[in-house]
Amino acid sequence: MSKSDQDIPTIKLNETHKDNLIYTLYEKLGSISSNRVNLNLHNLFLSCKIIREIIRTINKADINLNIVSSNIRETLVSLSALGYPTHLYLSNNQFSEIKSEKSGIIPNESDGSMVYFHQGTLRSGEDLEDDKDILLLGDINPGAKIKSAGNILIWGRLRGIAHAGSKGNKKSKIVALELRPLQLRIGSEIARGPEEKPQPGLAEEALIKSGKIIIQPANIRPFL
Amino acid sequence: MSTNTRIILICSGKGGVGKTTLTANLGIALARQGVQTAVLDADFGLRNLDLLLGLENRIIYTAQEVLEESCRLEQALVKHKQEPNLALLPAGNPRMLEWLKPDDMQRIVAMLTKEFEYVLIDCPAGVEDGFKNAVSAAKEAIVVTNPEVSAVRDADRVIGLLNTNQVKPIQLVLNRVRPKMMASQEMLSVEDVTDILALPLLGLVLEDEQVIVSTNRGEPLTLSGSDSPAARCYSNIAKRIQGEDIPLIDPSKEGTGITDKLRRLMQTKIF
Ligand SMILES: Nc1ncnc2c1ncn2[C@@H]1O[C@H](COP(=O)(O)OP(=O)(O)OP(=O)(O)O)[C@@H](O)[C@H]1O
Ligand SMILES: [Mg+2]
Repeated sequence: MSKSDQDIPTIKLNETHKDNLIYTLYEKLGSISSNRVNLNLHNLFLSCKIIREIIRTINKADINLNIVSSNIRETLVSLSALGYPTHLYLSNNQFSEIKSEKSGIIPNESDGSMVYFHQGTLRSGEDLEDDKDILLLGDINPGAKIKSAGNILIWGRLRGIAHAGSKGNKKSKIVALELRPLQLRIGSEIARGPEEKPQPGLAEEALIKSGKIIIQPANIRPFL
Repeated sequence: MSTNTRIILICSGKGGVGKTTLTANLGIALARQGVQTAVLDADFGLRNLDLLLGLENRIIYTAQEVLEESCRLEQALVKHKQEPNLALLPAGNPRMLEWLKPDDMQRIVAMLTKEFEYVLIDCPAGVEDGFKNAVSAAKEAIVVTNPEVSAVRDADRVIGLLNTNQVKPIQLVLNRVRPKMMASQEMLSVEDVTDILALPLLGLVLEDEQVIVSTNRGEPLTLSGSDSPAARCYSNIAKRIQGEDIPLIDPSKEGTGITDKLRRLMQTKIF
């Protein structure tokens, strides 16, 4: 964190405020005299809808949101999707900024597993491969490839090639905001991408059902 | 001048999309605006920037002799007669490909930055050594592409490589736009292209027979002050590079007005 960020007051919210989040926030805003504020959301698992409400409440108090930190990846993804700068807040009190073209490993707080995180679009000829679940903030363009032994989660458009469960895990899933790949693979199953245009604003997932790859509307409640 | 010199790589991935034509026209247009501009032919295998600029018969030394220190930079630079603000540093013989290293390219460009405000590097097609050498010396880039799937795919590849080489900003020029084909969806639309490449659009260049005519004469369109569609596009791009706020043309409104029709009629008579 830079010096100027530290001069900005931080409002902290956590699990214990979960049931009256907006009210708690409203009260805390009353004691802020600065016109900018940082927000630390700790372990709160928040949807885009609630985050929008939080931002509205802050803006109503004539205060601008500076940086948001949290240790929940879904919350950070929702925030990034809304265009806010985010910090990943790790348990050892270290901040690591999620900025463009950055990748790293982050813990999935909901089940303790590790997730490979990458921010930035994969362009033609580029590929990304990891044994862990992959979370990608960006698009996968035609000619680019992504491969994971686990699940693949793309906060963007999949138009290249994706291979989930590459070591044989047939339960793996591929989720994307727009799922129009050239080719999909899960385990050893292969499918070509659908031809027709996707419905806008509807995330989709690919998974194996009765031995075949199918595509259906995604169950990504934590994100939306 | 040296630290402010804009060193712009003009590249595409796919061959034949219009890099050299853009380099030549932009070089002339910038020089006409009064800025000291150098164009560097980095396509050692298939050099033809000299040809397009009509300077082929005035080359005495090339980048090769400069690197070997058998001549000074000033001796190798070929000044354009009508636009003395523009100079070409010609490519050496194709065998340079065998020994040229990124260091060599950086040395040449460093020499040019002492004298010029703009250095435009005409990049070879492909993503192999010739491209890598050229990238190593560039600060920013213009990616040229055509509204065709394969050209866009290659442009995307090149943008990825430019990103990893910290070249920025990267801007896009979409060349050989045919409004009619775009309207009837026989050609990728401007949005289709920018949607994938996600780069700021520096300009569109319309498909224009005059480009070919001017190429054969060794007189870039921007030199003759021609009012042909592509000439206007190239001049606008030069102005935008200089920071002027010129609106982009709208392909759906191009070439339908009565003046456009008249102009086309007159041109066919003249040439
Ligand atoms: N806007 C245009 N309208 C019509 N023809 C064009 C246009 N732009 C380029 N051309 C033609 O396309 C051909 C290729 O152009 P050019 O040599 O500039 O491409 P290039 O990208 O430099 O090719 P290479 O990869 O071989 O170096 C030339 O014959 C040129 O006249
Ligand atoms: Mg060329």
